[in-house]
Amino acid sequence: MEGRYPNRLLPYLLLLPSVLVVLVFLVIPSVQALVQSMRLVDPFTGRGFYVGLRNFVDLFTSEEYRHSIVVSVIFAAGTTLLGLSAGLGLALLVNQPLRGAWLYRTALLWPYALSPAVAGAIWGLLMDPSAGPVTYLLRRLTGGSFNWMVDGHLALALVTLASSWKMLGYNIVFFLAGLQAIPSELMEAASVDGASAWSRFWKVRFPLLSPVTFFLLIMNTLQSFFENFGLIDVLTQGGPARATDILVYKLYRDGFVNIQWGLASAQSITLFVMVALLTILQFRYGGRRVFYG
Amino acid sequence: MPSSSTTSPPAGEPRGGTYALLGRVVTAALMLMLAAAPALAAPKAKITLWHAMGGARYEAITQGIAKAFNEAYPDYEVEPLFTGSYAETLTKAIAAIRAGNPPDIVQVYEVGTQTMIDSGAIIPVTDLVPPGAIDFDDYIQPILRYYTVGGKLYSMPFNSSTAILYYNKDAFRKAGLDPERPPRTYAELEEMGRRIVASGAARAAITFGWPAWIFEQTFAYHNQLYADNDNGRAGRATRVLFDNEFGRMVASRWAQWAREGLLMYGGREYAPNRAFLSGEVAMLLQSTSQVSTIEQAASFEVGTAFLPRIEGQPEGKSVIGGASLWVINRRGRTQAERDAIVAFLRFLAEPEQTVQWHKDTGYFPATETAVRLLEQEGWFAQHPNYATAFRQIQMGPDTPATRGVLLGNFVQIRDIVDTAMERIFSGSLTPAQALAQAAQQANRVLEDYNRLYR
Repeated sequence: MEGRYPNRLLPYLLLLPSVLVVLVFLVIPSVQALVQSMRLVDPFTGRGFYVGLRNFVDLFTSEEYRHSIVVSVIFAAGTTLLGLSAGLGLALLVNQPLRGAWLYRTALLWPYALSPAVAGAIWGLLMDPSAGPVTYLLRRLTGGSFNWMVDGHLALALVTLASSWKMLGYNIVFFLAGLQAIPSELMEAASVDGASAWSRFWKVRFPLLSPVTFFLLIMNTLQSFFENFGLIDVLTQGGPARATDILVYKLYRDGFVNIQWGLASAQSITLFVMVALLTILQFRYGGRRVFYG
Repeated sequence: MPSSSTTSPPAGEPRGGTYALLGRVVTAALMLMLAAAPALAAPKAKITLWHAMGGARYEAITQGIAKAFNEAYPDYEVEPLFTGSYAETLTKAIAAIRAGNPPDIVQVYEVGTQTMIDSGAIIPVTDLVPPGAIDFDDYIQPILRYYTVGGKLYSMPFNSSTAILYYNKDAFRKAGLDPERPPRTYAELEEMGRRIVASGAARAAITFGWPAWIFEQTFAYHNQLYADNDNGRAGRATRVLFDNEFGRMVASRWAQWAREGLLMYGGREYAPNRAFLSGEVAMLLQSTSQVSTIEQAASFEVGTAFLPRIEGQPEGKSVIGGASLWVINRRGRTQAERDAIVAFLRFLAEPEQTVQWHKDTGYFPATETAVRLLEQEGWFAQHPNYATAFRQIQMGPDTPATRGVLLGNFVQIRDIVDTAMERIFSGSLTPAQALAQAAQQANRVLEDYNRLYR
């Protein structure tokens, strides 16, 4: 649909605010980050010297950074898998014609409205090693001590759990929409043809859900890379012993706590490239499996 | 007013009537401002203070100190602003300095000392305060010495603390121990700790707040240097020394406690307070600034004691922690504003103010006069827990090892050491490995820092 503007300048004027915002808040800082990533700077004066690719070399040879990448990948994979499978399962359940289905849907959707920091606080209190009710219950049931402040694996598990819990509402909404978009004739035809509930799900529903699944896969991955800073900061601060030190958190630590701006900028650029690659890959190869009916 | 006019102006331009209206509004606004000008022209020298005192301390600063100062000095006004944690406050201050719009005074934690000294953005207190305006001899000397380098006092001590041992007297009783006899040495701590755990009085014997800081304290407490160049006081530190025999010995002791279940790690900074307050752990090594908070929140009787000593090691002194106030150099500052800053710094140390600050928080009273006042009042007799830290820093020799270590990028180094401690407590690395690794990283940090500030 093409429109004609009375004034040749008007379209550009209308675009100007958005362009300015993008320029000021995205483009210019990115260029600055690029420049700063190749320097060693004194934060107070901005004085520093050019060190070429040293910050990047330091990053990739540092065991801490490599560890951070591994943690981020595990965290993203765990959150996505857990979030998607639980989300799909719950969406299937809630899709049935139940009495009070609206109540269940609201209750399931609601955690998504929380900020990651609040979700972190809730889980931190529930699972507090000394005073948390869940820890207490688990201790009574299994006799084990669940001190995630010492055990890094437990901390990572906790953070993954909290993060996928938070994403659950989002996943459920989209899965529900996807499920409801499947024409019921298809399901009826399948059962008339003698398909079991299992086959009906995997051969009819799941393929038809693939656009939604694909979309949620990308969104969950991106969210667990970027949106969960608040969760980590409140819950574990990247610890213990850097066990939950995802890339974004390490960036924050190096930039804002340790005041190492060159190093933090290098991490910022690296993260940007990583996510761009991830998205390209996902669209290239992931998009192939998607069945747009 | 023209409504549906056939000669409407080209799209995108305001109509003539709108311009006139705009003009009238602007004129009215200008006239209002002029009328209000006399009220705005009151010549109060205003100074801004950025601080990181949250919780109960926030009230103590805003409703206590700032309000009292503003009332006592009607020509001056101090505006305190809570700017988050110590790290956040420092970051914001840096950004403000870069933008050319810094606060007058900013509170920076003790680990930021070297960074601030090298920043080029501050005015040392010695340079700002006219001679005789403040009686520095009355100040508690260990505190002043921490912030004095090369004979110059760089920042004004404000909230100084040190680490002490808190213990649960009720748990001690339950374990059959004398609640008035806390452990004085590591050996006693181990023995009492084992009895406590065995008797079920608590799940674990001890936990630490700020593990890296406690590690530094242990060095100073036994007169051991933490870094070269006299702990960074004879010149910038280039190497850390904490992976030496003494450090390995201390870390091994702690690792042993963790393995035995005597030491339960509760997180960094103030997080372990929860473990202590819930009764899970019977003893806590923590900053004395938490005395008020802990006493109020505890449902049991709280005792405090000096940090335990390691048998057979030299005697040192515990180290000052906390934060101090730095005066930022700002272009265009008037003489009145400078006077206001000096008046405020002096006001903080007035006996009434520093005594109240101490009572509200547990941080040290700043001057000898204040201490005498508190003693006369019988405060220390009624609140023995508040006196412990104070008496502790009076004991022991004054050497570079006990004055406190100054390191560039100390925040990062603390983080490195905290991480090493966590690895030691969890057993994922041996003490020797963890410390060696941490020392290597710390030395790299120092190297980078010194390159920048050559």
